[in-house]
Amino acid sequence: MLLLYCYTAESFATADRTPVDTLITDNSFASAELDLRPYIQVLTDDQQHGSLAQIVAMPFTHQPGIFHPNPKNNGRVNNCWLRLTISNKSNKALSAYLFSGWHDFMYWYVQAPQDAPRLLMQTGLMLDDGGEERWSHYAFHAQVPPGEVRTFYLHIINKSYNENALMPTLFSTEGYSAFRDQQLNGYRQEAVVIQVLLGMLLVFFSISVINYIQLPDRSYIYFAAYVLGLILFFALRLEDKPYQLSFFHRWPMLKYYWDIPGLLFCFYLMYLLFGNAFLNLTERYPFMERVFTWVAAVVGGLIILCMYLIAIEQYHMPTIIYSYVYFVTLVPLLAVFVALARRSRHHPLVRFFLYGSVCLYLACFGSFLMHVRPLGLLSALGELAAPTILLIGGVMLQAMFFLAGLSYRNKLVHLERTRTQELLIKQLNKNKELQRKLNEQLEELVKEQTTEILRKKQELEEQRKKQLETEYDKKLTEIELKAIRAQINPHFIFNCLNSIQLFVMQRDYEYAQKYLSDFSYLIRKTLDFSRRNFISLADEITYLNTYLGLEKMRFENRMEYEIVVDPVIATAELEIPAMLLQPYVENAVKHGMTNPKQPTGKLSIYFNQVASDMLECVIADNGIGIARSKSLRMLPKHHQSSGMEISQNRAELLNKMYNTEIHIEIIDRSSEDESDSGTIVKILIPQL
Amino acid sequence: MIKAIIIDDERNSRDIIALMLGKYCPEITIADTATDCADGIEKIKQHLPQLVFLDLEMPDGTGFDVLAGTLPEIPFEAVFVTAFEKKFLHVIRFSDVELILKPIDKESLLQAVALVTERINTGSSKDRYRVLLENFNNSRPAAWQLLIPATNGQAYTINIPAIEYLETQADNCIFHLNTGKHITAVASFRYYADLFTSLQFYQINNNQMIQISNISHMDGSAGKVVLKGGSVLDITERRQRDLLQRMTHH
Repeated sequence: MLLLYCYTAESFATADRTPVDTLITDNSFASAELDLRPYIQVLTDDQQHGSLAQIVAMPFTHQPGIFHPNPKNNGRVNNCWLRLTISNKSNKALSAYLFSGWHDFMYWYVQAPQDAPRLLMQTGLMLDDGGEERWSHYAFHAQVPPGEVRTFYLHIINKSYNENALMPTLFSTEGYSAFRDQQLNGYRQEAVVIQVLLGMLLVFFSISVINYIQLPDRSYIYFAAYVLGLILFFALRLEDKPYQLSFFHRWPMLKYYWDIPGLLFCFYLMYLLFGNAFLNLTERYPFMERVFTWVAAVVGGLIILCMYLIAIEQYHMPTIIYSYVYFVTLVPLLAVFVALARRSRHHPLVRFFLYGSVCLYLACFGSFLMHVRPLGLLSALGELAAPTILLIGGVMLQAMFFLAGLSYRNKLVHLERTRTQELLIKQLNKNKELQRKLNEQLEELVKEQTTEILRKKQELEEQRKKQLETEYDKKLTEIELKAIRAQINPHFIFNCLNSIQLFVMQRDYEYAQKYLSDFSYLIRKTLDFSRRNFISLADEITYLNTYLGLEKMRFENRMEYEIVVDPVIATAELEIPAMLLQPYVENAVKHGMTNPKQPTGKLSIYFNQVASDMLECVIADNGIGIARSKSLRMLPKHHQSSGMEISQNRAELLNKMYNTEIHIEIIDRSSEDESDSGTIVKILIPQL
Repeated sequence: MIKAIIIDDERNSRDIIALMLGKYCPEITIADTATDCADGIEKIKQHLPQLVFLDLEMPDGTGFDVLAGTLPEIPFEAVFVTAFEKKFLHVIRFSDVELILKPIDKESLLQAVALVTERINTGSSKDRYRVLLENFNNSRPAAWQLLIPATNGQAYTINIPAIEYLETQADNCIFHLNTGKHITAVASFRYYADLFTSLQFYQINNNQMIQISNISHMDGSAGKVVLKGGSVLDITERRQRDLLQRMTHH
């Protein structure tokens, strides 16, 4: 290895120093890896598409500046021809491999002396759609028979301004194998990183799709699109990794179409749309929402523009656009972060969004800075989109934060839903309660009304009952009254009969005759009056006269009586209740006869018109008076005479019956004047 | 000859009694007449009559006052004469004192006079007047005494509560007492049934009448009523129900 190193170092040194037209190999030529820069003559085509013959005829020169060991931004399309002439001086055929890096288009010609150049091989990143084996196509086989000279042409066209390392090297078969293994190992690491990333992104994608199916929320769709964009982007980045497996090698142009546009799509368009939906900016931060939407629209336009530019083979333009977009958005993005951070307190989702965004932001920036040092600013700009470990880490972190945010959002949605459900349940319960209360109220109302109806019914019934009772009472009163009238005085009747019997036995027939006719008149009138409620005052006076006449006869003229009628009274027309006065008159007769101081009982009846509608009837006797009469008759209580009570009851009954105000006043004359005695009964009869 | 006094406040009444007695009962001589209670008591004490015709209602009292006024001993027989005296009818009949209603008819007068004449002649007990006054002063008829003239010529005074039941026997009425004794009264079952209408008696069949307060229990299915004294009597189903209703009502 040390020898090899020394040799190569010496070769470099010599190559730098002494450029030669022809590589001469002899038997001692055993270089495993030979830097061909000193032996290669270059023709830069500068867009002149001459024919192969013309090109061959054109002058080739040594241009060491064209070569570079690192990727480089040429700032233009590189269309160059490399010419290598090998003269095999040995007796063995030369079989070596020329490798000059991975470029967009590569054509390998061989020309024997005095011969036309012949195409041996063509390949290129934009051309070759072979499988993994295509990577071997970039090592062009150079075969020179012993003792002959061959001229090889390598036509390289790099349409994109970013050019991979361009360092022509000649390998022996063994040397190329070693180189190939080294490259394969080197890129394997990157490929593995990308594949792991792809795996994780696929998981994220699956999660978001599944979540979207579970909970149709637009932010999941945006996130899924974002992840899918990244998957496609990183899968296409595998195309660039030499000697590695790739997925899309059949469409070699695809990696260009989803390079800058893919980044714009993922990191700007979907990022902004995701932010809008995820943070629900429409409601929470309408201004930011408008900004995001507008920027997203502009980015969408740029994506289309970029694709168009790629279609017309302006590969450098998307890079420039991306550089501008990147730098222009650097500060505004920071401003957006700050603006969002200020709101993170009330909106926990903002934190997830911010952490993810800042991670990618820093990763991008770091990645850019990492590129700047070895590549220089211009080349670094060209490599802005190149996925470095740092960038990949940033992307990972962002995706993870976003996913975590989505989960958290899910949780919030779930909580919200639970709360809503609880509220709904509460509302339902409330409704139920309300319904129950209403039902109760209704029931109560019904009950009340039923009670009211029942009460009314009862009242009505009671009223009817009362009415019936009143009517019944009236009837009863009438009957009672008639009963009282009917049994007016049996004692008197039988005493009368007794008297008549005596006259008959004494053969005093004339007296017996008069007594009998008077008695008959009285009985007839009594029977007649007891059927009537009112009789004329004239009838009453006649009746009383007859009655008193009979009593006078009974008491052997020991009594006197007078009936005085106020001449203004029209006795024939004026009506009074039938048999109202009789009991009082009878009572007066009875008491009038019991005064030992008075040998003759004196009874006076006066009818006076005291007012236009008031008849006064006064029955006065000169007996012992009510008070003494009562004290004299000491009957046991249960045998007390109820004559006066009956009279009082009669007045009350009459008042009740005829709705009148008959007033009865009983005065003991001795209460006013001690020397006087007797009873005065005053009866006031209102005229109807 | 029987000495009698007439006490009545009406002259017509006194006159007719005297007239009729003179005409139909020559063995009775009217010793005197009185016009009110006080006068009557005085005349009785003065003449000591064997018989007194007594009006019930007088200006200064009743016939009962006259009787009470001659206490402690009533040495005469009394006959009440009244025109219409429903309220004293029962108390007089319970003590079996004679009562004549005005206008007086010959038969009633003769019957009454015959009865009292017999009492005077046999020197019969004056217990009835004590019973009369005691009943008169007792407001509860259920606690009254009853004087029963028996067919054996005796008069028994019993307390109403002691009566278990009465029973008809021919024209007479048998009193079954809670002492186990029974008395055959001269008067009919119907007479006492009418007299006891205001008391708590119940006629359980055509021939028997029980005092409700003396019922022990009823044997409804057998149609029997058992009295406290142990007597078991028949009762018809209808009257059983009626009796039960009356008992629960009181």
